[in-house]
Formats: sequence, C-alpha cells, structure tokens
Amino acid sequence: MEFIIAILAGVLFATGVYNLLQKQLLRIAIGTGLISHAAHLFILTMGKLKRGQPPIIVDNVTNYTDPLPHALILTSIVISFGVTSVVLVLAYRTINENKTDNMEQLRGNEYE
Amino acid sequence: MSNLAILPIVLPLLAGTIVAFTNKKVTITRFLSKIFILIHLAFTIWITYLVFTDGTIILETGSWVAPYGIIFVADYLSILLVLTTAILSTACIFIAPKLVSEQKEIFYFYTFTFLLISGVSGAFLTGDLFNLFVFFEVLLMASYGLIVLGGSKEQLRESLKYVLINLFSSVVFVTTVAFLYAVVGTVNMAHIAERVHEVEQAGVLTTIGIVLFFVFATKAALFPLYYWMPKSYIVPNPVTSALFGALLTKVGIYSIIRVYTLIFIYESDTIRNFFIIIAGLSMIFGVIGALSTNDIKLIIAYNVIPSIGFVLLGLAVFNETGLTGSTYYLIHDMIIKTALFLLVGVISYVAGTSDLKKMGGLIHYYPKLGWMFFIATFVLAGIPPFSGFIGKILLLKGAFETDHVIIVIVGLLTSLLILYSVMKIFILGFWGEKKKNFQVKRINGMLYPIVFLLIFSIFMGIGAEFVYPHIETVGEYLLNPEAYINSVLKE
Amino acid sequence: MLLAVLAPLIIAFFIPTLSRWKSTIHTGIFVFFVPFSIFLFFIQHIGKDFIPIKQVFEWIPSLHINFDLYLDGLSLLFVLLISGIGSLVVLYSIFYLDKQENLGHFYVYLLMFMSAMLGIVLSDNIFVLYSFWELTSISSFLLIGYWHFKEKSRYGALKSMMITVFGGLSMLGGFLLLSVITNTTSIRVMIEQADLILESEYLPLALIFILIGAFTKSAQFPFHIWLPDAMEAPTPVSAYLHSATMVKAGLYLVARFSPIFSQYDWFFIIVTTFGIITLCWGSYMAVRQTDLKAILAFSTVSQLGMIMAMLGFGTDIAIFAAVFHILNHATFKGSLFMVAGIIDVQSGTRDIRRLGALYTLMPITATLALFGTFSMAGFPLPFLNGFYSKELFFDATLGLTANDVGISAIIAAIVPYLAVFGSIFTFVYSMYLFFGVFGKSKNNPADLPTKPKEASIGMLLSPIILVLGVVMIGLVPNLFNNGLLVHAATSIKATASYEHIKFWHGFNTPFMMSLIVVGLGSVLYLTKDKWVKVYDVLPGTLSFNKVYDKTLTYIDNGSKKITNSYMTGSLRHYMLLIVGSMFIISFIFMYITDGFAINMSDLADITFIEVVVVIAIAIAAVGTIFSNHNITAILILGITGYGVAILFVLYRAPDLALTQLVIETITMALFLLCFYHFPKLRKRDESKKTIFTNLFVSIGFGLLMTTIGISALSSNWFDKISDYFVETSLPIGGGRNIVNVILVDMRGFDTLFEIAVLGLAGLTVFGLIKLRNNKGAK
Repeated sequence: MEFIIAILAGVLFATGVYNLLQKQLLRIAIGTGLISHAAHLFILTMGKLKRGQPPIIVDNVTNYTDPLPHALILTSIVISFGVTSVVLVLAYRTINENKTDNMEQLRGNEYE
Repeated sequence: MSNLAILPIVLPLLAGTIVAFTNKKVTITRFLSKIFILIHLAFTIWITYLVFTDGTIILETGSWVAPYGIIFVADYLSILLVLTTAILSTACIFIAPKLVSEQKEIFYFYTFTFLLISGVSGAFLTGDLFNLFVFFEVLLMASYGLIVLGGSKEQLRESLKYVLINLFSSVVFVTTVAFLYAVVGTVNMAHIAERVHEVEQAGVLTTIGIVLFFVFATKAALFPLYYWMPKSYIVPNPVTSALFGALLTKVGIYSIIRVYTLIFIYESDTIRNFFIIIAGLSMIFGVIGALSTNDIKLIIAYNVIPSIGFVLLGLAVFNETGLTGSTYYLIHDMIIKTALFLLVGVISYVAGTSDLKKMGGLIHYYPKLGWMFFIATFVLAGIPPFSGFIGKILLLKGAFETDHVIIVIVGLLTSLLILYSVMKIFILGFWGEKKKNFQVKRINGMLYPIVFLLIFSIFMGIGAEFVYPHIETVGEYLLNPEAYINSVLKE
Repeated sequence: MLLAVLAPLIIAFFIPTLSRWKSTIHTGIFVFFVPFSIFLFFIQHIGKDFIPIKQVFEWIPSLHINFDLYLDGLSLLFVLLISGIGSLVVLYSIFYLDKQENLGHFYVYLLMFMSAMLGIVLSDNIFVLYSFWELTSISSFLLIGYWHFKEKSRYGALKSMMITVFGGLSMLGGFLLLSVITNTTSIRVMIEQADLILESEYLPLALIFILIGAFTKSAQFPFHIWLPDAMEAPTPVSAYLHSATMVKAGLYLVARFSPIFSQYDWFFIIVTTFGIITLCWGSYMAVRQTDLKAILAFSTVSQLGMIMAMLGFGTDIAIFAAVFHILNHATFKGSLFMVAGIIDVQSGTRDIRRLGALYTLMPITATLALFGTFSMAGFPLPFLNGFYSKELFFDATLGLTANDVGISAIIAAIVPYLAVFGSIFTFVYSMYLFFGVFGKSKNNPADLPTKPKEASIGMLLSPIILVLGVVMIGLVPNLFNNGLLVHAATSIKATASYEHIKFWHGFNTPFMMSLIVVGLGSVLYLTKDKWVKVYDVLPGTLSFNKVYDKTLTYIDNGSKKITNSYMTGSLRHYMLLIVGSMFIISFIFMYITDGFAINMSDLADITFIEVVVVIAIAIAAVGTIFSNHNITAILILGITGYGVAILFVLYRAPDLALTQLVIETITMALFLLCFYHFPKLRKRDESKKTIFTNLFVSIGFGLLMTTIGISALSSNWFDKISDYFVETSLPIGGGRNIVNVILVDMRGFDTLFEIAVLGLAGLTVFGLIKLRNNKGAK
C-alpha cells in the first residue's frame, strides 16, 4: 500500500507542477495546493502505514502508528495554509494592480 | 547545556512582537527597535565569546534529550554567522528610518525585519532538520511580508514569482525530510549524520542528498536555480534588499555547507566535482548577469550569485584551506553585500534614478559617498588588503591544493569582471562633469551605518590576524563531523 | 624601512587637511619632503660594500602574510628611482599644477602610489607584494582619471585598470601556485627551493601566470595599449608612473623571479620574444604618432621591451645591461616627459604637427630635449648614458648561444637583427621628436594657442637635474656601477657583474651596429615623408585597441544577450529550468550511485476502500488540469484535499484528518473569495511543444519523487526514534495524545514558530490589503 500512496503522491506532484507551469494564476495557485498535499502524503507514508492503533495512548495497547510524521504534517499543514493564504491575496492584488491574470504578461522587462 | 543558544532566536521574536504593538507611534517603534537590536548584538557577542572559549553550546529544548527533542547547537560556524547577522541587522535597523518611508515603517517593517533575523538565526542554530524547515518558513514568510510592503505593480509581480518558487522549494524540502526519515528514522541532524555514516551513505541516500542540495541551492541562488533572485531583490526598499542580499541566500549556502560537511560526506568525488561545476557556472553566469545591465541595484543583485559560487567552491574542494576560505568569504560577503545594497540604495536616492545612463558627476556633491563606494568596490572584488582578499586567496589556494586549476582561472577572471561591473557604477555614476540644477539632498545620517559595516570589512582584511585564527578553527572543525555529532549525542 | 614604505601612505591621510591652506602654500611643498627624505635615507646604502638588509614586521603571521622587507641591490636601485624621481616629479608638479586644481586628491593618489611602489620592490612576501601591486593599479587608475570630467580620461583610466588588474590577478594565480608548490610565501625561500618549482608539473602554468602579470604592467606587446591612453593623466604622473617607475614594476618582477625561471627554456623563449617584439613594435609605432606624449608613450613601450628582452637573454652582460638601462631610461625619459609638459603648458598644444622652430624661443628647454633625445637614440657621444647601455645591449644580443637547435636557436639567431631594426626606429623617432618641435619648420610659433616663451626656472629645475644625471652617468659610469649597479645585477644573477664600463671598445661589432643605426636612422628620418605610407599597410587597420574595445563591447552586449535569453521574467521558464535541472541531475546521481531500491517484504496490505480513495484523488488531481471553469477547478482541488483527509482517517491519524478538514474548508473559502470575481479560466491555447515540455518536466519530477519515495521505503535500515515518544508521552510528557505531546512539548519550538509564521502571514495579508499602491513611495 505504501507504494501506491507513493505513486499517488507522485501523481499529485506531477499534476501540481504541471499546473504551476500554466499561464493563468488560478491554475498556478491550484498547483501549489496539489504539491502541498503530495508532500503531506509522502510524510505520512514514510512513517509506514497501518502499523498499530492511532497514537493516543490507551492502556494495554503497545502498538501505535508512528506519531512523529503526524506531528510534522500538522506543523506543515498549518504553515502551508499560511503560505497559501498569502499567495492567494498576493495573486488577488497582483491581478488587480496589473490588470491581468496571465503570468506571461507579468514578465516585466523594464530593467533592460 | 545552556539556555543561551536560544537567545538570538527568541530575542528578535520578542522584539518583533513588541514593536508590532507600537505601530501607532512610529518614533517609539524606531527607538525600541534600535534598543532591541543593540541588546541582541550585545548578547550575540557574548555568546560568540563563550562558544570560542568553552566550545559548542547545546540547548535541548524542554530537556528532551537529543535526538528526540529539538536541539539548538551554537557551534563555531553557526554562532559566527549569527553574529554577522546581528552586526549587519544593526546597521540596517539604524539606517531604516532614513531610507524606508514612514508608511512602510508603520506597516510592520520592523516586525518583519526582527522576525527575519529570528528566522535566520534559528536556521543557523537549529540542530534539527525539520526545525530547519520551520525556520526557513519563518524567514521566508517575513521576507514575503517585506517584499510586498508598498504594493507597487512591479513589487507585486516580482513578489509573486519569488513566493511561488520558494514555496515550491519548501515543499520539496519537507518531502526530502520525510524521505530521510524513512531511511534513517530520525530528524535530528547529528543523529542523521551518525546513521548515514554507519551505512556509508548507501543506496538512495546520495540521491536524497542531491535533492536536498537543489532545495538549498534554490534558496542560495546558485546556478541554475537563481532566476527568481535578481529582480525580486531590487523591487523592495533598499534596506530590505540589503537584508535579503545579505541573509536569504546565505542561509541557503550555510545549509548546504552544514549538510555536506556533516551528513553527506561520502561519494565525495562525484559530488564535489559536480559542486565545482555548479560553482564555476554560478560565477560565470552571475557576473555575466551583472555586466548585462545598467541598473545599479540589479548589478549588485547579480553579484550575489558569483559570491555564492565562491563559497561553494570552498566546500567543493573540501580541505581545510577551502572550508576556512568558504567561511571567511561567507562572513565577508554578508557584510559587504549589505553595505553595497545600502550604498546603491543611497546612490539611487540621491540621483533620483537607478539607471546608470542618467547619472554622472555625483562625486562633486557626495565625495564621502563616492569614496565609500569606491572602497566597497575593492572589498567586493577581493582586492587587498580588504576582507574579500583573505577569503579569496584561501579559496583559490584550496583549489590549487586539490589540483583544480580551471576553476581557479574562472575565479580570477570572475574577480576581474566583478570589479569591472561595479567600477562601471563609480566611473559612470560618480565621475563626470557637474550637472546643472542639481538638487543636493542631505544624506549624512545614512552614511554612518554603512561606515560601520565598511569598518568591519576593512578590519577583516587588515586585522585578519585577529579574525583568521578563529575562522581557521571553523575550517578544521567542519572537516571533522564527529566533533559535531559527539557534542550533540554523547553528553 | 617599514616606516619608509608606509610614510607616504600615512602622510596621505593628512593631505586633505594640509590642502586647506593651499591658497597660501602649494600642497606640493609639504609633499616634496616625503620622497626626498626617503631618498636621503636610502642613498646612504649606496657603496661598494653594500650588504642586503632584511627586516620582518608581522601582519598576519597565521596566514604567513607579513611585511618581510628585503633590501638588496635590485630593490635599492628601484627604491632610489622611486624616491629620487618622485622628489623631482613633486617639485615639478608644484609649478605644473595650478592651485585651482584639486591638489588634495592629486597628492593623496601620488603618495599612495609611492607607498605602493616602494612596497612592491621591498616586499619579500608574495602576498604583500601583490597587495602593493594592486595598489599601484588603483592609484594609477585614479591619477589617469584625475581630470575625470574628460571622456578620454575615464576611458584611459578604465583601460589601464582593466589590463593591469587582469595581470595582477593572473600574477596572484601564479603566486598561489608557487606558494602551494613550495609551501612558503617568501620569495627568497622560493628561490632557494627553485628545484621544487622546476620539477613541478605546474611550472609552465606558474610561469605564464606570472609573466602575464609582468607583461601587462610593463606594457609589453600586445598589452601595451593601455599606456598611450594613460597619457591623459597630468604630465607629472606620466613622467613618474608611466615611464620611470610603475611600468618598470613588471621588469622588477621578471628580474626578481628570474633566478627561479631562468633555468627553464621557455622563460628565455617567451620573455625574449615578447621583449624584442615590443621593442620593434613600440619604436615603429612611435614614429607615426603626432601627440608628443603619445610618441613618448610608445617610446617607453619600446624601451621596456628592450629591457625585458635583456632579462630574457639571461646572460651576464644582458642582465647587467638591463639594470643599467633601467637607470638610464628613468633619467632621460623622465626629463623628456617633463619637457613635453613644459611645451604643452607654454605653447598650448602637444600636437607635433603644429609645433616647430621653438629652439630660439625656448633655448633651455631645447637643450634639455637635445640631451634627452640623443641619449635615447643611443647617439655615440661619451656624455650620453643611453649610448652605453645600448652598446651593451647590442653586445648582449651577439652573445646569445643556444645550447640546442630549435626555437631557442632561431630566436638567438635573429635577435641581433631585430635589435638593430628596433634601434633604427628609436633613432628616427628621437630625431623626429627633437627636430619636429625645435628644428626648422614651416609652422610659425606665433600661430600656437599660447605664445611660447621660456618656462619658469622652477619648472625647468627637475628636468635639468635629470639631464645632469644623464651627463653624469655618461661621464663617470663606473661611479654608479660600483656603488649600485653591480649590486643590482648580482642580485638577479650572481655572476652578472661588469667590471668596467667603457665608452670606447674599439671597432667591434656592437659599435658597427650603432653606426648602422645612426646611418640608416638618419636616412630614414630625412626621407620620412616618402615611406610614411607604410603605416597604411602595417598596422593599417590592425589595432590592438580595437581588440580591447571590441572585447568590452562584446562583454557588454554579449552578457546582455545571454542574460536576456534566459532571464525572461516568465515564471514558467524559471520553473521549467529549476524543476527540469532538479529531476534530471537527481536521476543522474541516482543512476551513478545505484540509488534505486525496491523491497516489497514489509508493506501494509491493500484494501479496496483505500484504492477507491486513491483513484478518486488521482482522477481529481488530473481533473484540475482539464477543468475550464473557476469554480469547478477549485472544487476539484477540494476533492483532492478532502480525499487526503479521508486517507488520514484510514491511516489512523485522527488529529491530522480533523485539521486537514478544517484547513481545506477555509482554503476553499479563500480560493472562492479571491477568484470568484476573477477572469474566467480559458481553454489552454498552447502549442504542442509547450504542452510536451510541460508534460515532460512535470511527469519527470513526479516520477523522481515516487522513485525516491519507494527506494526510501525499501531501505529502512534503522529503527525510528518514535518509540521513545510512545514510551515517554504519558510518564514524562503527561499526555495521552502522543501527537499533541510531541507538538507542544518535544517539538514545541516547531509549534511556536509555526504560530509565528501564521502571525506573519496575517500581517503580510493585512499589509497587502491595506497599504495600496502609493506612487513615489521609496
């Protein structure tokens, strides 16, 4: 099963990157969402799957799933959320200011 | 075991939080910021002194023993970089009221700056790979805040690219941490190192190491990953540019040095040759970029790339001379880049433009500024007796010692072209006839913080005897990862 | 001695203060005492029984960079030249430069240069030598650009700096090599260990590195092009830096290192060849110039080539002649530059085509020029020092014997002819210079911008002293030989002493060569108008200046082209390059290090429901690419998010699932908020090529991540550290929810800074929304 999740995460990365390579800002933003999911799935999988009970200590149970990846993912989810919100607002403002959502029109070559 | 190691991280965090609440009265914010940064500097000096007299300081947070809890490691390398950060941030905080508009100051300029310092110091000090990711996010988020501050068209446009590319590399970073966890089952760097050495970096580990290198190299703006850097560094205000130029890329190269002197020390021939190529290409393409433009800010921004290349060169040759050179050059570059970014900020402020073609004759009105820039130029190009020279001869000597001749020639030529690219600013901007109807602006207050930085640069050159032996210790120390592992795990 | 080296530099700091009084006292008067006292200090060392002096002053001992000063015969000769000519130049400048000029700057630069030059010739430490070397380049740059409002000055300044710093850096490369080979930074220790260097495989490289440094500084062909442009500097500077001292630093370097390299055949070949070509080319080109200072510049180039060639010969007599000529050249060329300056000031022009017939108007100047030019020409008169060293030069060219056939032998055979050729042109331009300015002419001096008259005695004083030097050396050469020259020559080559310098050697070959030079030279000078067309053929359009200019233009334009080709500003291009290089190089490394591994033994079982969720997520992920509607695309993204949450539930991570659900919902809301009013998603109208590239890169990257993930899962060689968390969560951490305990306790700092990130994000968003575009904000 771990391999299947790894493949799924790979698919998420691939589609995420593909979206990042598009012109329209919305697609790019969606791409960032996809690659974050991919990363979280990878973290989860790397601790091995289904090796015991949920990591909440119950008497007489000694076998729990690896809790560390869970903690890492939690931190990472919250951080990604912060970053995503900044990206979204930034995109919103950029579109407003520059009157386009096409990244190819946001090259900006006035320094040459 | 001492709580001291956390101070350089927590102090700016506190300072940033406190000044965030004083944004109604900008004079208080300014005053408090100056006080806080001085306290920060004082403590950092003290800790540095302790580290160099008593050895590495380790803090296991919450008393959770390594490798289980998060630890902070103030060793020679990290504390020196934290100290350098404190020095240059002091200059930046002191120049900010002059160079940053009041509105931006109100909109949490100082909070972002302090958090940036906190994040950078944390990244230098942490001994935990996942925690490093968290500090990367702190400093990146602070930099996002700084880069968009003002919200002009160009700023938004370039910030967006900057944020997206960094976001991508952060996601890859955290994934790589997961991969490492799967293989070695730990996230503590010393522990990872110990386990990686145990299996001699077998199997997939080298590949993970290379992906990690790419993550850090994107942040460090090495070839071929630096595209986001030059333009996004020049759109915010000059103080922010200075902080970015001095700190952000340096955290990336620090991480590369840390990871490749501590963890991935096997498969060395392939990796080191690869590094040499990357270093050489960074030098060449960086300086080509610097030559390609007439925008003075952009010239300096492009010059960030070759210097990172030089630092990588020392790591690539991987001997004591090279690593000492890398450290020396890194510290030198952090200081001089801040000074140069601030200088071009002041220059474009007084000239009213950053386009060289529209400048000329500034030396008639601003002789002090001109000569400071002149000296900074030579510091940057590594002309003796300034700080760049010491770093450069060590790096090049290190390369000769390991029979890498071509990279030395590339390095020497790059130095020449760097000098040319920056000297252009002096010749076209400062020399020339007096202009008619030129409005002279008052800038004296802006120059003191830059003088402060230049004095450091000059001291690191002329007074190298006071600095070099300490940095040589770093070079020696980096060659011997056991020292780090033992100090973290065997106490 | 250290004081002597640094004194000018230290005093330079006080110049700005001193120059405040310049309205009453010319700053130069203060400055004059600096080189003069140094001169007096060192002149005491002259004498038959001179022994080298060594002094050590520590600077950076841990890097072996110290002020190891070493005064031997060669250094002494240079030190005396630097301080002696320096005194005269300062004296001259007092009358040459007006008080209106920015004298403070001028003298600061000049003193900086003096220090640097003394440092070069006295340092035994290669890195200190290099430091001073670059300092001379910098001060020369500043002095050439002294009148920086002139375009030509800026051009000349940049050119000299680019070429000399290029050489300097190359020399640094050579020094580094030598220090790595011999493990020392002292030149004398290197000379003692010459064998080590001669056996090293880096010998050719080190030699080339160091020679490039010497050739650029001493304006050897084809690096000579900066010297004529350096003539934009004020004339005292040209006299000092660009004829007497700085340009001789390259000669000094070659002389200093010749004990090491002279045993290497290629040293002879390269140095001799370049020297002799420079001699011929310089004198040939000098005849063509019209600006007095340009003639002198090319003449300097040619004379430097001659000395360089002699250093290359390496025979006893050649070394001695080289040293002798360094002294002679400084005297006659220094005086000629000063004369050129006088003419410039007194007549308002330096264009030889407009000058003429000044002999009667400026008799003293003319007499000085007469001595200078005829000495330079090597005219056989006993009171002209130029003849002596030229005669020795001819003698040296004849004494070359190659010990084997090959390139060395060919060079040895043709050198005498080239020497005569170069000297003929030297003779021609010397005559041209003197008679063109002072001799009969159809030009009427009254037409000149200023009406020429004799210069003031102050201005004439310095050239007079130098010309007296010319005559003195000519009359009593052995006075200088015994006290100074012999020490200088023997410190380059132990056997290179020359017992007795004589005027008359009989009708031997060198004398015949001199006669040929005088005879043919006179003929050529008189018929100059007839053959001057030869310059249309050679150099014709051939010009090394063009090479330099083209190179700079090429650097400027080429770098622009290269940079613009990839710094397109397009996020897509950047991402393509970043992601592409990342996955390709990572795969290469994976292949090299045999990184791929697969091990199915320890995997969780596959259940139906998991597979369904996985497939749903995968379809949704692919769906984001094809959806052409804002809301649909966002909702599909939502599906992947909630799908991940379901996976978290399936894999027993309740906290994660909850957080993911909440965050995903808020993110959805944010997405909708931000994009609801925004431009609609359009159909992708990309070319096949674009789509293919995007696909290639994204699939490649996804593949890389999956491959590494599978390999990482298949190589779990170690126990995870998490058992510790399970064990200690309750007893030490005091919580049943292990994840929570980790978050708030064991890894509390992650959480603290995660909150900091959120806070920062909030402030950023706040700033983004509130602080709108304020035009003109700094």
